[in-house]
Amino acid sequence: MKRVKKVLSVLTATALIATLAACGGTSDKDSGSASGSGGDKLKKITLFQSKVEITEPLEALVKTYKEETGNEVEVWGAAGDAYQQQLVAKLGSNQGPTIFSVAPGPESEKLKSYFSDLSGEEFVKNIAPDMELKVDDKTVGIPYGVEGFGLVYNKDLVDPANVKDLDSFTKTLEQLKADGKNGLSLSQEAYFLIAHIINTPFALQPDPLAYIDQLNKGEVKMADTKEFQEWAKFMDAIKANTKNPLEVKYDSQMGDFATEKTAMVHQGNWSYSMLADFGDFGSKVGMMPFPLAGNDKIAVGVASYWVVNNQADADEVKAANAFLNWLFTSDTGKKAIVDDFKFIPALTNIEAGDLDPLSQAVHEATTKGETITWALNYFPSGIVTNDLAPATQEFFMNPSMTGEQFLQKLDEVWAKASK
Amino acid sequence: MKKSGKWLLDILLFLAALVFLSPVFIMLINSFKTRAELYENALALPTSFSFEYYKSAMEKMNFFTALGNSLYVTIISVIIVIILASMTAWMLVRTDNKLSKVIFFTFVATMLIPFQTLMMPLMQVMDWIRTNLHIPMLNTHEGLIYMNVGFTSSMAVFLYHGFIKSVPIALEEAATLDGCSKLGVFWRIVFPLLKNISVTIAILNVIALWNDYLLPSLTLSDKGLRTIPLSTFYFFGEFTIVWNQAMAGLTLTIIPVVIFYIFAQKYIIKGIAAGAVK
Amino acid sequence: MSNRKDKAWFALFTVPLLFIFTTVVIIPFIIGVVYSFVKWDGIPANPKVFVGLDNYVQLFQDDRFLSSAWHTVQFTLLALVCVNVLGLAFALLVTTKLRSRNAARTMFFMPNLIGGLILGYIWQFIFTDAFGFLGEKTGFGSVFFNWLLHPQFALYAIVAVFTWQLAGYTMIIYIAGIQGIPDELMEAAKVDGANLWQRLKGIVFPLLMPSFTICLFLTLSGAFKIYDVNLSLTKGGPSNATEMFAMNIFNEIFAYGNYGLGQAKAIIFFLIVAGLTLTQVIITKRKEVQM
Repeated sequence: MKRVKKVLSVLTATALIATLAACGGTSDKDSGSASGSGGDKLKKITLFQSKVEITEPLEALVKTYKEETGNEVEVWGAAGDAYQQQLVAKLGSNQGPTIFSVAPGPESEKLKSYFSDLSGEEFVKNIAPDMELKVDDKTVGIPYGVEGFGLVYNKDLVDPANVKDLDSFTKTLEQLKADGKNGLSLSQEAYFLIAHIINTPFALQPDPLAYIDQLNKGEVKMADTKEFQEWAKFMDAIKANTKNPLEVKYDSQMGDFATEKTAMVHQGNWSYSMLADFGDFGSKVGMMPFPLAGNDKIAVGVASYWVVNNQADADEVKAANAFLNWLFTSDTGKKAIVDDFKFIPALTNIEAGDLDPLSQAVHEATTKGETITWALNYFPSGIVTNDLAPATQEFFMNPSMTGEQFLQKLDEVWAKASK
Repeated sequence: MKKSGKWLLDILLFLAALVFLSPVFIMLINSFKTRAELYENALALPTSFSFEYYKSAMEKMNFFTALGNSLYVTIISVIIVIILASMTAWMLVRTDNKLSKVIFFTFVATMLIPFQTLMMPLMQVMDWIRTNLHIPMLNTHEGLIYMNVGFTSSMAVFLYHGFIKSVPIALEEAATLDGCSKLGVFWRIVFPLLKNISVTIAILNVIALWNDYLLPSLTLSDKGLRTIPLSTFYFFGEFTIVWNQAMAGLTLTIIPVVIFYIFAQKYIIKGIAAGAVK
Repeated sequence: MSNRKDKAWFALFTVPLLFIFTTVVIIPFIIGVVYSFVKWDGIPANPKVFVGLDNYVQLFQDDRFLSSAWHTVQFTLLALVCVNVLGLAFALLVTTKLRSRNAARTMFFMPNLIGGLILGYIWQFIFTDAFGFLGEKTGFGSVFFNWLLHPQFALYAIVAVFTWQLAGYTMIIYIAGIQGIPDELMEAAKVDGANLWQRLKGIVFPLLMPSFTICLFLTLSGAFKIYDVNLSLTKGGPSNATEMFAMNIFNEIFAYGNYGLGQAKAIIFFLIVAGLTLTQVIITKRKEVQM
């Protein structure tokens, strides 16, 4: 009896090592089996991407892909704000996905050693001019689609003719305030609070990227730049006449807009999907440029690119290219991008689908070439959430802080963050 | 007079508990609302109590697979940590030398390391084990269990260490004289006396592991392996949350732990009753 | 002989756990220490440059890191008191003979069952929507306003949520301790005419010393490491007023991509916290022995 117990205890003490050793066989086999089956079938690949909203249609699409071609793609998932960190951890431990998504700017700069060269692939030939992700003149990323932001307004409450410059903008806000409406709403999320709205003065510089570079080196100051000085006055007008954006969440921002408590929001075409949760707004909403320094263009850019992991073995890279090719050239793939993902296509061989009014505005601007760039993509890594947003919070919380002081504060935190 | 006072205290306690629980109530009511309703008033009762969001949340999460995965990972991890940590802690308490002090304080000190600073090196170590020793530490439940045991061990050892001291050593000495081996003494005499604290440790660890997101998110990639917290990612966009499904998903997540807790608590109470009799 | 046998037993009992613990915690920690002397962005394929103590020098010039340290200290002290006072009070209440004790015990513990991040989001509703509503209806606008927009109150808000979450946790450890107090002792004191406070002070508190040690340590380490609630409730705002240690380190590593500097911060953080908490453990342990 005693002996049995003793043996049992020893067994439990070593149970763990046993479990691990025992499972050694089971999990190795799925990596082995795929490569063994030759012929037409391509190796199973994995795909990891940051836009949670398209996960479901994407999962449905890879199912169709399997039915049509017999090849398998596994879609991984991560909550929106956890993607970046999980991607880095997975790449770092050699369990990286075959296809993954990256944002342009510092993020793709950091990860560029993982990108395989897609220049020779069929599907990249259709990418609209300047919309591809390039490293050393090689095309490495293919855009999800284009997105745009500007002043999203309610046509019943605002006439675009009255939002043309600082004066008319301020007057419009004052008038709306007198009518008991919130003229313009930003919201507390870092990108919606500051990154998008400060994009305009950057984008209006003759060479936005060079300007950012100079700013990083401390050679220029926002406070000394004309466009920014005017922008600060816009911010003063916003602060004086609208609801404190720190009290507004993206959800309530769109809710207030949908229920006509707010006349304008500084938002992008993506916000239409949330607006749709509140009812049908059909032709009541539109998007217009943020009228800084005579700007008459909305900001259009690419938020994410697909890239192929060059650390994956050759068979996987081949399968990944085959999948991307299918996605961007087959009818099923193209249809999914437009109808299910609801992207505005950034490839010339894909027709835009039935677009909502905001996406329509972005699409029209794009085809006419009347756009300004997303300079914010090239801001130093992490600066928006960690430096610009806190400074903006201070501006909106401290009643005595002027737009001018705000600009100096932004210069100050920028210098710290980029050193 | 005294009786009515007690009644009052009774009601007060219950009310305090209710207030304490109000955030959970908010979670529940919002799992039934549309985005428009939620925007109107986060505190109001929903207009209808249909379970459609629960249904869609369960479908998206692949709920039963995820539930099975969570149960497997949590239960096995907790059993292993209870067994190994109680044994270790007992030895550390009963062996009064420098080595056991150093070991104990190492356990305690590591409880202060923020996980975020360990995660990258941890993944590298596990990758090294995988490539060089061919033990699949990553993307398997067993690998996750192994890491769970490692991370929960310090707190378990710390708690056991504190409580083992109150176990009278005389009992153990008597058993040793009767010819019991150390293992026998531990399993027959000591472990049963640690029942209360074992249940407590089990409760704390079950909850921590059940809700853990970060570590599983780093080690489990395949869809079929996802635990419950991992499978709720569908509802969390970068800027917005699909509130009704997220709240429904969360409610579904905590129901199993609530049931577990109520059972485990009964066990503790039985322990009190037994103690009172002796 | 017997000594060797004892050693074998010692090894049998401790080695399995120590082995796991070493591979999962100790080795990664040591690797982390090594990285703290390196300039690196955290991407394996990118270069690592050995920079000696540069990262350590740099972090002491980082005002933001130092102020995050100050926030963490403030937060920890407040949380320590709130969590333990409330947890102990709950434990005492639910171990009385009150009829609602069982229901109350379950309910007090419930907040613990809700995982970190979502909890912060729920509380965001409460601070933004419910508090505004209460302020309007009750007229106590000075108490019920959006705490998250006020630098000092945002910190209190995190304390409140942390307390709400952890009070039930410490409660069950205190309960385990209270159960260990022999009933006869309390009865005898009652017969001797000791009032409630005297009984608490004379019997309950001294006998609860081990539970105090444990709970103080758990709250201390939990509070110092706080991240989830910090992130989901305030994201460190407004204007960085509630950015704590862990968040600062996390941002350094993942947002700015200064992996080495982040690790150096983590090491310093670890040394400070270890120093403080071990002192606490030693002090309270000494008290235990004296009793």
